Amino acid sequence: MMDRETLISKWLNNELNDQELEAFKMLEDYDDLVKLSDGVQAFKADDYNTSAELERVLKTIKTTKKQPSNWVKPWMRVAAILAICFSIYFYTTTIDTKVTTEFAQKTTIELPDNSSVNLNAKSLLAFNKNSWKNEREVTLEGEAFFKVAKGSSFQVITKSGTIKVYGTQFNVKQRDTYFEVICYEGLVGVTFNSQETKLKPGDSFLIIDGKQIAKEKENSATPSWLNNESTFKSLPYKEVIAEFERQYHVTFKLQNIDANQLFTGSFAHNNLEVALKAITLPLHVTYSKTNGTITLKRE
Amino acid sequence: MEKQLHENICEERLFSSIFNKYAKDLHNFLYYKYGDLLNPKDKVQEAFIKLWENCAKVSPEKAKSFVFTTANNLMLNEAAHQKVVLKHQQTKPKMHTNENPEFIMQETEYMDKLQKALSNLTDAQREAFMMNRVEGKRFKEIAEILDISTKAVEKRIYGALEKLRKDIKEL
Repeated sequence: MMDRETLISKWLNNELNDQELEAFKMLEDYDDLVKLSDGVQAFKADDYNTSAELERVLKTIKTTKKQPSNWVKPWMRVAAILAICFSIYFYTTTIDTKVTTEFAQKTTIELPDNSSVNLNAKSLLAFNKNSWKNEREVTLEGEAFFKVAKGSSFQVITKSGTIKVYGTQFNVKQRDTYFEVICYEGLVGVTFNSQETKLKPGDSFLIIDGKQIAKEKENSATPSWLNNESTFKSLPYKEVIAEFERQYHVTFKLQNIDANQLFTGSFAHNNLEVALKAITLPLHVTYSKTNGTITLKRE
Repeated sequence: MEKQLHENICEERLFSSIFNKYAKDLHNFLYYKYGDLLNPKDKVQEAFIKLWENCAKVSPEKAKSFVFTTANNLMLNEAAHQKVVLKHQQTKPKMHTNENPEFIMQETEYMDKLQKALSNLTDAQREAFMMNRVEGKRFKEIAEILDISTKAVEKRIYGALEKLRKDIKEL
């Protein structure tokens, strides 16, 4: 005879055979067990409509954006890292080398191919070391004298125009509305307003206020400013004043003076008194100094 | 193993078949364990939506345990555990025809006692017992759903039965 617990367990698991069922029915608490089992039916869970619930889930899923599959995420990370590495590489290799000069300052720069540049006061020269092999190109603001080693084309880019050469010596001066290129050796092509002008040694190309001005042949081998002297041949007086200001870091006030009258002469960069006399005496102008301001007056 | 690579729950057909297979059991499991106050139907929804969101990470074999664990955790997160009182279904069919007022009163009294006794069971006892008695599931099926041994299921259900009978007598 089976014990009570085994019988009940078999009953619970719905595996009583006929003989066992009879024995189960003989249990003294048979009625109580059946009553209990019937009673709990009343606590049945709410109906669950599987297909309706599935529809509800699918609807929610479709309204939310579909998840990108799992291989996308790691690749996005790799791509992001590559992008950062690339931009750092790009930034560091394309960053330009910049050289600037202040008032009364001059400097000499050696370019990667042994070309050299003398930079006059208050000027800026920028070039890229890494792309130098592919294209020799510099950007200039101000005035500089170039000695270019022979090689592929060499370009100087300024606001006013572009100068293209192959191996030569030339001076570029680009100040506001003033643009002058003087060729000392070799051949220089100046592109101004998309028109190229070829300069032979001694030739110069001068633009003031957008107008081209003819100049006589240059005889010296290098620009005078390399020897600490600024020379002017029939140039507006205001250009002389502007250059003087850059070389001595002073400010001029002109009284009763025509700034466009032409001036021929020169001034030295190392002696203010002598230089002032050099630019005032020829025009019969007097000067007076207060702090950094010089007032020029015509009697 | 090769087949597994292609079987992805992200496919709607496979997802639906998994839902059809487990959603009702999951719902009943949650219902008997936590009652209907915490809305077991919504928890089933949420658990399957989470399954969809992680469809690429969860293999079809792990899907069942994923939704059960997720839904269970959702329940536990929702509220501090309180006593579970199962709802008395009013639609209970009448089993006796010759009911006199006294009998009806006794019946009502019995059902109240049963309701109290059910809430006195442990969660583990109640979920196993109700799935067996009300949903008609065999020990083995319950063992699969709960991820425990058949012996443990038998012990839980038998324990529940004894406790219910003792409680009803004492109440």
